Amino acid sequence: MALIHVPRPPKSAANQDRPVSDLLKMQILHLHEVEKKFPPRMHSGIYINDIKTEGQAAGYIRYVTAILHPHGARMKVVRKKKAAPGHVKEIAAAASKKKTKKKSAVKKSSRGSKRK
Amino acid sequence: MPPGLDNLKHIVVLMMENRSFDHMLGALKAQDPRIDGITDGLSNPDTTGALIKPQPLAEFQSQLDPDPDHHFPGTDLQIFGGDTSPNRVANMQGFIKSYYQQQKDVNHSHKILYYFPPDKLPVLTTLATEFAVFNRWFSSIPGPTICNRAFAHYGTSFGQVSMDIFYVKELYKSIYERMIAANPAHTAKIYYFDQASSTMEVVNLLQHQPQLFGTYDQFLADCKSGTLPDYCFVEPNYNDHDGDTGELIASDQHPDHNVQQGEVFIASVYKAIKSNPTLWQNTALLIVYDEHGGIYDHVPPPACPPDGFVAQPNDTGTGMPFNFDRLGVRVPAILVSPWVPQGTVVDGRIFEHSSIPATVTKFFLGDYDQRSPREKAADTFLDLLSLSTMRTDAPDFDV
Repeated sequence: MALIHVPRPPKSAANQDRPVSDLLKMQILHLHEVEKKFPPRMHSGIYINDIKTEGQAAGYIRYVTAILHPHGARMKVVRKKKAAPGHVKEIAAAASKKKTKKKSAVKKSSRGSKRK
Repeated sequence: MPPGLDNLKHIVVLMMENRSFDHMLGALKAQDPRIDGITDGLSNPDTTGALIKPQPLAEFQSQLDPDPDHHFPGTDLQIFGGDTSPNRVANMQGFIKSYYQQQKDVNHSHKILYYFPPDKLPVLTTLATEFAVFNRWFSSIPGPTICNRAFAHYGTSFGQVSMDIFYVKELYKSIYERMIAANPAHTAKIYYFDQASSTMEVVNLLQHQPQLFGTYDQFLADCKSGTLPDYCFVEPNYNDHDGDTGELIASDQHPDHNVQQGEVFIASVYKAIKSNPTLWQNTALLIVYDEHGGIYDHVPPPACPPDGFVAQPNDTGTGMPFNFDRLGVRVPAILVSPWVPQGTVVDGRIFEHSSIPATVTKFFLGDYDQRSPREKAADTFLDLLSLSTMRTDAPDFDV
């Protein structure tokens, strides 16, 4: 059978400033529920009600997921950091470093709250 | 046992987001009348009373914005057309009414009936016509993502009809836990796209069973090395974000994400399996959508055996309890395997997401009593691998 061409979307299809959908809001809430059980030193410091865009959501989702599942870090990150128990926060930080420098940055709440 | 089942070692499920059968595959009716898609006689009334017909005008992006309502009350309106009487009958007449409520724009509300012509979805429509397409695969609940995906993992949503956090009851284990606890043990995994996209199965499985998870990169590597688990579930990218190689576009096809990127992702999963000849002959791939996303479909969801749970009126938002005795709106579902006859249209049988753990359990574990009533009643689909000789004419995609 002939090779079937699969058209790619235009680059303009990407929009990290798109407002978060209900689905992403709920995913964030679910992750936040889990984050609340982390030791305080591992809290993200992100006030989830400040997350308005997909890019911001991705930064938070990456942070919590990296702690829950450090093996999901991309292989080169794992190699660089020589992942070991107890170093999950550093891995999470490495995984989200690129993101937090750009559009996904959500500052800590001025009230210092880490909870919703 | 057919040779396809004799050879079967892996079942892979790819679950996409929020598109109805008619929206994605309904146009195939014109090519193959056996496919229960769009016909001339279909319509929905708009808020002026005009009858609006489905049109092949669906676009990849920026058309279904705002995201169509697909929570329980909205879906109830879509299915029953606003009838709340005790003996009401599902008529699929409330889709435009429902979408109108979000923007109060009559013309915009008609877009909820738009569908894709086949040439705009070359991956999905090719796989549907080359392998097996299901005429009656329904979402498990007339509601949103989280509870519907729960049926794929557990065979129940434990009484949930919403996106809220829910906790599993000890009564029923996920299909992954059943697999790894079996004697002899099987392997099972959920592959999420990457850490910035993560999984929708956070509170129960990711939190407590992280060993069950992998990333899409690992899925690709496992396909290549022939180390895919016996059963695996693949999740698309749920958001736009930066990756190592640049900006990554969401591939879940959830409105208003780009549908073409989802096509690329589906083709990528298919290619990963097909590129390993041994894996290809040993694997069945199910591509299915979690729910309809508020988008029009013409087939009324049927009644089904109750689930043993009851959602109370304040949870359903309709003023009525729900006994989990009716399925949700129909979604696209395609079974891919070189042992499936070309052009199979699965008709006269009803499937829902509980069919996934039911099928995996039946094939790998055999008798297993601790399952939900819905899962026990669910039809299974591996009998579709019915060929006596493996096909060598499967399509390829340039991804």
